[in-house]
Amino acid sequence: MLEQEVYEIKEEDEIKKLGLITKNIIKWVINNLKFIFIPAYKLNALVEKEEKHERTVSKRKFIRRFKSFLTILGIILVFAVVTMAVFPHWLAPYTEADASGVFPGTWANPSPEHPLGTTSFGRDVLTRLIFGARTSLIVALPAIGLSVILGVIIGIIAAFYGGWLDTVIMRLMDILLAFPGLILALVFISVFTDLFKTDVRIEYIMLAWGILGVPFYSRLIRGSVLQAKELPYIQAARVAGAGNFRIMFKHILPNVIQPIIISVTFDIGGIILSLAGLSFLGFSDPQLIDWGNEISRTRERLYDAPWASLFPGFFILLSVLGFMLLGDGLRDALDPRLRDL
Amino acid sequence: MSLISYTVKRILSMIVVMFGALTLTFVLSRFMPGDPVLAYLPQNKPNPQLYAYYTRLLGLDRPIWEQYFRYIGDLFTGNWGFSVSIAKDMPVWTLIMQRLPRTVDITILSVVIASFLGIKFGIISAKHRNKTRDAFFRGLSLVGVAVPVFFLGMLLQYFFAYQLKWFPGTGFKTREFPDPAFVTGFRVIDALISRELYIIFDYLYHLVLPVFCLSFISLAGIVRQTRSSMLEVLEQDYIRTARAKGCRERDVINTHAKKNAMIPTVTIIGLSFAGLLAGAVLTETTFDLKGVGQLLVDAIVRSDYWVLNGLVFFFTIVFVVANLLVDLLYGVLDPRIRY
Repeated sequence: MLEQEVYEIKEEDEIKKLGLITKNIIKWVINNLKFIFIPAYKLNALVEKEEKHERTVSKRKFIRRFKSFLTILGIILVFAVVTMAVFPHWLAPYTEADASGVFPGTWANPSPEHPLGTTSFGRDVLTRLIFGARTSLIVALPAIGLSVILGVIIGIIAAFYGGWLDTVIMRLMDILLAFPGLILALVFISVFTDLFKTDVRIEYIMLAWGILGVPFYSRLIRGSVLQAKELPYIQAARVAGAGNFRIMFKHILPNVIQPIIISVTFDIGGIILSLAGLSFLGFSDPQLIDWGNEISRTRERLYDAPWASLFPGFFILLSVLGFMLLGDGLRDALDPRLRDL
Repeated sequence: MSLISYTVKRILSMIVVMFGALTLTFVLSRFMPGDPVLAYLPQNKPNPQLYAYYTRLLGLDRPIWEQYFRYIGDLFTGNWGFSVSIAKDMPVWTLIMQRLPRTVDITILSVVIASFLGIKFGIISAKHRNKTRDAFFRGLSLVGVAVPVFFLGMLLQYFFAYQLKWFPGTGFKTREFPDPAFVTGFRVIDALISRELYIIFDYLYHLVLPVFCLSFISLAGIVRQTRSSMLEVLEQDYIRTARAKGCRERDVINTHAKKNAMIPTVTIIGLSFAGLLAGAVLTETTFDLKGVGQLLVDAIVRSDYWVLNGLVFFFTIVFVVANLLVDLLYGVLDPRIRY
């Protein structure tokens, strides 16, 4: 009786064991060879799902790499500058008309009414600084947009067609690079003002920096296009019947644009800096409220009213620093191999 | 290809670029503010006959290609015209040579100081990677990239010249001090020749703030480059070998790693030398040093045609030659590079 029970239990155990083994085998097969059981019409959906999963994982990694202290500081600074540029009327203690009006209390110390003091004609420094952010971005963004668009088009065309066209275009770019940037910009602006018989206007500055940035971007993109055009997907596109322009701007461009995006973020800072330099030398639209302009006007009074000329400089420093930190962080996150540069 | 044939090839391509740049300056010069003829006219006599005479004399009524060759010939024979408004009737070449010494002095001093400190900081930064000192120098170089030269200059002026009164704020000499007898135009050399040492000290004392300013700006790039190339070199096998055979850490860094890490840094130093010329425009204006950079701004503001023309030509030549030298130096420093 007892023996029989024991025997039965043993048998049960073994059956269970066997069941476990088969179960495991089935589990393994399903896990590893599941594609055998998937009907063909569901394959695409599955691949999509998997891709989506991987993308979120890489996105998480991207965000993790993006979350360094300096990058966050950069984002905060850029956010602050952009906010000042977009909503100056809400942030500034006085209106735009007040910022260029005439009041008593010239060159006054910082006080509760004027947190950063006043400049000539009793204008509030803080208000002028907040309105100045708009000018910086208004000049920097179109200028860099112009150089990126022209530079990318020229660079792709030169690299894609090659031959004499490439040589001619690249030599022309070399010639533009043969001048020190600030000096050529000064000459360009003075030529424009002389040509159109007007004061220095903001469009001239944009145009000058836009032209000066072209060689840099066309060189940057030319290298990567030269590599990309040898890859098989270009041949595939050509076999599929795509024309030259379609290949250049639909197939190659999206694959080589990444370094451009990184360097644009970096260069916005650089352009703001150069613009400040130009307006410091007195080459800017006198009607506009502009940080560099502000310094150039108040520099004479540096010793008795330092707030009027030092705070604009500090704002330039912060905004340039913000864009550069953001560019650094973006580069680290998108291309971790360059981390230590 | 050997170094010599590479040099020849580079010089030839430089000449092509140079002529392109000259063509560009020629085209620009037709639109530059100011009138080239007015520069030659006797002052304050707007006489149409005389104007037409000088136009013919200068060849401005000739076909455009003839004007072009004349223009290039004039630039290379040193016939750079006369100043109109800055220093009346002074030849442009003399004017530039008068202003050049200050620019050269501050540029050379800043390059020397920036590369000496930059390499040192970069190596320290790489040695203590991701530690406090590394973070400090990286932060310093980031600020150096982002700070506007004139803002730094004004901060220095305010605190060190006005508040603490340690250094003079503007100018390059104490007003009562005489100029040394003119030999080369370079104040230091002239004063050495006439044995007036106090003039040298006075001059250098005035240059402290501007040079600090300029070198701080170019320090940033050098520190970054040294750090990254040092980190790369320290990963190499021969460094591990050197450590394994029992070298002191100091020797590993100084004799094994440093030489190889210096190659990209030298490029950066050479390029920053050219960039400093542009930085000099802002620094000279901030500290009122009366150098070439300030002359350029003056020439534009006061539409001095020939001065502007000559300066653009001058800067272009300096820039192109500096780039060429950097390229050649690269080959000399790294014998592995064969062109």
